Amino acid sequence: METTVKLKVQGVIELKEALVDGIDVSGHWNRMFEQRVIWEYTPHLIQEVASLNDAESFSWCYQCAKCVPVCPVDVVGNYGPRKLYKNAQTGTSLLESPNLWLCTTCMNCLRVCPKQVDVTKAIPAAREQAILNGKSVPAELQEALENTSRYGNELGQPARKRDAWVAQASVPVRVLSKEKQPVEWLWWVETYPAYHPRGIDASVALARIFHTLGLDVGIIGRDEKTTADSQRLAGERGLFEMLAEENIATLGKYEFKRIVVTDPHAMNAFRKHYPGLGGTYDVWHYTQLLADHLDTLRQHMTRSLGYHVTYHDPCYLGRHHGEYEAPRKLIEALPGVTFSEMWRNRENGYCCGGGGGGMWLDGFVVEHQARRLSEQRILEAVATGADTLVVSCPYEVSRFEDAAKSTGNENTIRIRDIAELIAEAIPA
Amino acid sequence: MSRVLTIGSGPAGLEAARCVAELGYDVTLIEQLDRLGGTPEIERYAKLTHHFRDSEEAMREMITAVTSKPNVQVLPNTTVLSASGEAGKFRVAVKNGGAPQEIEAGAIIIATGFQHFDPGRETQYYNYYSLPDVITISDLEGMLKDHAVLRPSTGTPPQKVAFIQCVGSRDRQIGNEYCSKVCCGIASKQAIEIREQLPDSQVFIFYIDMRMYGYWEPQLYWPAQEQHKVTYVKGLVSEILPQGDRILIRGEDTTMGRPMEITLDMVVLSVGMEPSEGTKSMAGVFGVEQNQYGFIATGGASGIDPVATSRPGIFVVGAAAGPSDLDDSFSTAGLAAVRAASVLRNGGK
Repeated sequence: METTVKLKVQGVIELKEALVDGIDVSGHWNRMFEQRVIWEYTPHLIQEVASLNDAESFSWCYQCAKCVPVCPVDVVGNYGPRKLYKNAQTGTSLLESPNLWLCTTCMNCLRVCPKQVDVTKAIPAAREQAILNGKSVPAELQEALENTSRYGNELGQPARKRDAWVAQASVPVRVLSKEKQPVEWLWWVETYPAYHPRGIDASVALARIFHTLGLDVGIIGRDEKTTADSQRLAGERGLFEMLAEENIATLGKYEFKRIVVTDPHAMNAFRKHYPGLGGTYDVWHYTQLLADHLDTLRQHMTRSLGYHVTYHDPCYLGRHHGEYEAPRKLIEALPGVTFSEMWRNRENGYCCGGGGGGMWLDGFVVEHQARRLSEQRILEAVATGADTLVVSCPYEVSRFEDAAKSTGNENTIRIRDIAELIAEAIPA
Repeated sequence: MSRVLTIGSGPAGLEAARCVAELGYDVTLIEQLDRLGGTPEIERYAKLTHHFRDSEEAMREMITAVTSKPNVQVLPNTTVLSASGEAGKFRVAVKNGGAPQEIEAGAIIIATGFQHFDPGRETQYYNYYSLPDVITISDLEGMLKDHAVLRPSTGTPPQKVAFIQCVGSRDRQIGNEYCSKVCCGIASKQAIEIREQLPDSQVFIFYIDMRMYGYWEPQLYWPAQEQHKVTYVKGLVSEILPQGDRILIRGEDTTMGRPMEITLDMVVLSVGMEPSEGTKSMAGVFGVEQNQYGFIATGGASGIDPVATSRPGIFVVGAAAGPSDLDDSFSTAGLAAVRAASVLRNGGK
């Protein structure tokens, strides 16, 4: 009944079947023309966003369009901060538009923006306002947010299972909530590495590497809750702050020197947002910690892997925190591995689509884009000729494995966390 | 002969006269009107683009800097009739009020400026002479000075105002292929002033491309957009039409690739620069070449000298040589003063 036929001329719509008051007006009888003429400019819709906390720069756009070619969403759709601004100027409220949910906060636009328009601040503020206004949040995201609020993790898993993965590790893992001893490195595991099967694979590998290096490492266990940085970016700043308070209180119970994180999103929360909320820590990504012990690692990595690999820069490790080299140093040190870069790498690395709430917007995003960002990226990885795509963010393994399947590349390319490859290169 | 004749008393002429006098030479400054100040004075400029300085105050300072010099002779109500001689010894016949007079000068500086493009000559359907609420940037400047930005048709403050850029500029049909250089900055400055004087108003600027030279970008364009919420739209307007007692403009929003039809209360045409009548007649009297647009041609032997005319000893400054902002006027004035002074020192060589 609602089948829409778009005719060849842009802006013309026809419903295949239509019945109005019992009269059949199917086909050309209901032909409609979309409004082309702009009758009014609506700068107040720009201000609707720009007047929000931290979002002022949204109104600075002067339409140079440098953001558009580097926007990962525009590659598979029709997007970019310039367009969000222009749409608002010509009558489309960002708060009412599906576009509100498509930004992954990957920050590639800000990197090139001459006016320093920061949508990684404006978009979360707009989402927060839309939620406050009672706009409906896409269902999957809503569920992840509710899970986060109820269980302290977006997957809706029980807290008591947060350290269950330790049983799978082949080495002892210190769980600090059980032993209450000081530790040098507090390992902040985060949700996916604690609960997701493929995340657990990386955690098990990482535990073995830490053990091999003889590092003094411990995890908190069941009291650890997600830092919820992506939930913050999805518009739930209140939830983020509530969890930050809890996590800061939890961390206050333990004696440690530094934090090592598996998840770059957790690193972002700790480094950029926790200090303002009363929690200041020395936070390292695990690739940085391992790169710091590269000489020792080399001695242990004796098994030749025979892989041709490429590497995907996570947005929140790369652009957001400037770390491009530590993962590459580790890859270079892997025995029997050849390395090819994808054409978008480092500062210009493509986004996997998982950030800024994208992890929990998959069904929504698919409706508005030609393909998933992860699928686009898989095709770029396959194009290098690599048989292995190396990642260093826990969002990515499952995203890219799904994308490899949906693009028919599951037998062409395998997805591995760097930790998995390092562990594989260390004979048991 | 140790005198320089400067013709025209706008910013460029005043600054040239001041510089020559500072260098220790005598100056005769002639002005066809009864008062000094040139276009900023005649058109009652409100504020300058430089830090929004009050124009009247700035001009008064410039005039005083000239009239206070003992070696400057100021002749208002004076027009040039004819000229003879060459570098080092020009004889110029002028009419001062009713009385003819001859001035001997070693060098001549022409500072006769520009006039605004007459929007009646616009090839677009802009209706300047038929719709009272279609005005120009110079009309608006007077309104801003009086703090009375009002629709001429009703005498009430406009709610929605649009500037239309490049009126009479960058147009082969009109014959003015050049960019008038200051209108983007002036429109942005005026848009800020309207927003300050009428905080409830909505102000648009329709443009081909915003040409904000140098510091105008952070001083005018960005503040207009970022602090004063001026709406910039890329795409000019083809028609300005009556719509009831308001105005309809029709154009294309090129960024959207969609037509636009916007109803407004007032439209401001950013009219460009053309050579003034004085500039054209001085070119004839002194026999200096004009470029294809009627401005006095510059370049000299090197081709890059901005004050040299086709005749040695005769220099041109400011907008008599082409579209100029105040910085250009000051720069060329200073340069021409040095050139004129060296003509005097070297006896025309």
